[in-house]
Amino acid sequence: MQRIFSMMVKEFKQVFRNRPMLSIIFIAPILQLFILAFAITTEVLHIKLLVCDLDRSQVSKEVVRGFGNTDRFDLLGFSTDLKEIKEKMKAWEAQMALVIPPGFSRDLGRGQNPEIQVVVDGVDGNTAGVALGYARGILGEFGTNYVKNRPNYTQPVGIHLVNMEERMWYNPDLSSQQFMVPGIVVVLLTILPMMLSALSLVKEKEIGTLEQLMVTPLTRYQLLLGKLIPFLILSYVELAVVMTVAIVFFKIPMNGSYLLLAGLAFLYLFTTLGLGIFISTITSSQQQAMFTAWFFMVFMILMGGFFIPIENMPPILQKLTYLNPMRYFIYIIRDIFQKDSSLFSLLKDAVPMTAFGLLIFSLSVLKFQKRVG
Amino acid sequence: MSLSKDRISAIARKEFFHIIYDFRTLFIIFLMPVVQLIIFGYALNLEIQRVDMAVVDLARSTQSRKLVGQFSGSKFFRPFFYQGRLDDLEDLFKSREAKVAMVIPFDFERKLQNETSVQVQFLVDASDANAAILIRNYCNQVIMDYNENRGVKLPLPFDLRSTILFNPELKSSHFFVPGVIAMILIMISALLTSITISREKETGTMEQILVSPVRPLEIISGKVIPYIVLAFLDAAVILLVGLVVFKVPFKGSLFLLTGLTVLYILTALSLGLLISTQARTQQVAMMMALLITLLPTVMLSGLVFPIASMPKLLQYLTYLIPARYFLLIVRGIMLKGSVFSQLLGPCFFLALLTLILLGVSVKRFNMNLER
Repeated sequence: MQRIFSMMVKEFKQVFRNRPMLSIIFIAPILQLFILAFAITTEVLHIKLLVCDLDRSQVSKEVVRGFGNTDRFDLLGFSTDLKEIKEKMKAWEAQMALVIPPGFSRDLGRGQNPEIQVVVDGVDGNTAGVALGYARGILGEFGTNYVKNRPNYTQPVGIHLVNMEERMWYNPDLSSQQFMVPGIVVVLLTILPMMLSALSLVKEKEIGTLEQLMVTPLTRYQLLLGKLIPFLILSYVELAVVMTVAIVFFKIPMNGSYLLLAGLAFLYLFTTLGLGIFISTITSSQQQAMFTAWFFMVFMILMGGFFIPIENMPPILQKLTYLNPMRYFIYIIRDIFQKDSSLFSLLKDAVPMTAFGLLIFSLSVLKFQKRVG
Repeated sequence: MSLSKDRISAIARKEFFHIIYDFRTLFIIFLMPVVQLIIFGYALNLEIQRVDMAVVDLARSTQSRKLVGQFSGSKFFRPFFYQGRLDDLEDLFKSREAKVAMVIPFDFERKLQNETSVQVQFLVDASDANAAILIRNYCNQVIMDYNENRGVKLPLPFDLRSTILFNPELKSSHFFVPGVIAMILIMISALLTSITISREKETGTMEQILVSPVRPLEIISGKVIPYIVLAFLDAAVILLVGLVVFKVPFKGSLFLLTGLTVLYILTALSLGLLISTQARTQQVAMMMALLITLLPTVMLSGLVFPIASMPKLLQYLTYLIPARYFLLIVRGIMLKGSVFSQLLGPCFFLALLTLILLGVSVKRFNMNLER
């Protein structure tokens, strides 16, 4: 016990002596939280719209006004040259063009169904699809109003419409921060313990102090425990800091149980600390450890449902995400924050996550033993 | 004393051996982009499909079944009938068996025949706001289709033709392959250079090099040249995989892309240099480089999320992200066939950023030496 304690003191001293590292550990995550929480929105706004109004009539102007009245489109200019559309898109100056043909109002008045053309830059498929949807909506509204305002318009008899009444549960304001901030917490709880433990073990290896430690009366377990407990504590401090910022500054509602969250975070830390030890056993320099950790991180973040919804992936890749421990914890933490889920309803994520954690942790410890033994 | 080619190439050769001997890092550097490309190319799909929808059909009539049929027929929804109590609907959201529930009232059929409108309730699990907005829009669309099929919608007085340029099938891989090039290039150039210089500092070999007759500028050039080559090779691999596996078109000039890629690599290298002048140990350099390059590049450059939708303050911040400009360049050249005169804006900003970064880091580097 005494020995583990001295080892821990040494680790803490090493961490706290390294001022730049300390600020990276504590200030950087908060900065990231501020930036990322606002950046992640898949909502499409301010589409750059080029208008080619070849009709220049009262009616066509009304069509254009429909696009100007919303923050979904930014009207950036008018053009009469259709060739210009493609060139402007190539220079990233326009994303969509609205082409109203000459004689539009005349043909509309005669009931000859003139053709409105919408040209969209398809490079960003998601944005393009959404933009087309917006355009259809605005034009549809214009069309319906136009028909209704015709002098000879009569309300068709027997209109029985089905209408939608929607209830948004858990998040009636539809703020994306509520969803993303708990995700960022998981990312931090992954990066920090994994990097810290891997780098600190490899550093001892690289500069030769690991062998010095091995010849001391410390057993290997004591060595590992002394190394890991400080990082465990640091991770919890980090968790507390980030959650305070999230709850106080971002006003993220925390509906669930703090105790449950802390308990499951402990189980998750087995995985990330275990991965850190594992990385340290297969690498021999800090640079290698760094790159290996990076590799794991990118895989875990991209395939964990952090910002790419798992449900949208092809089935094979969806199955692959079951191998990703982060997947489970992201679901867990979001459900606790937003839905106040109980341990019982989280079991289907908590069990595989714990299994992964214990497996990875014990295998890494065994491997570490062999390497040093 | 002028810059000597021999001395630069000697340092470059030493650095090159460092890279080659570290087989594992090299392996990751080349495997990584391919893995990322595959994940991005296949997995990154922001459009939601096959949403699980619980249906509570209290009416059990012909019309209500038709409404459910309209939802099963759309590719967005996978409806299933929920038999439990209405009060327990929330359990479906908690266990994530459904993301949306549709409640058809028991007087649906009667109201549909006698009244102008009938309300159908949709309960959406809005924990993921972005998904909830999409689900709502899809529901709306299906309802509109249902109304239209029953012949109660006004026909539009004009035709609407939509043309999609450059990527008519709206393939996300076409969008992301060039994006991965931008991401990998900055990671490798900035991360590796920042580590290599701080490693010399940490192990004390920097001072040994400094007392040798090599000038600081020669050290820097010698150190970065191998990484320029490495980054270039990596870019070529990604490009090749993208063109062959994902069949991403290449419409513009390869020559122009090569030239501007050099500019971008220079920007990334100057960023790496700046980091290395700040950091004294490898650990700090790595963490700083990761924090500055990885997440901001993924989140703030327009790689995934549209910049125009971000809050204004954050939009200004994106001007500092080199990948923002390179994304416009590489996507423009590859997918649209943009020419140089159409990319002047991004090129100018990228060049400006490089000059500033390089200026500051050379100054700091010299200051460090004098201390």
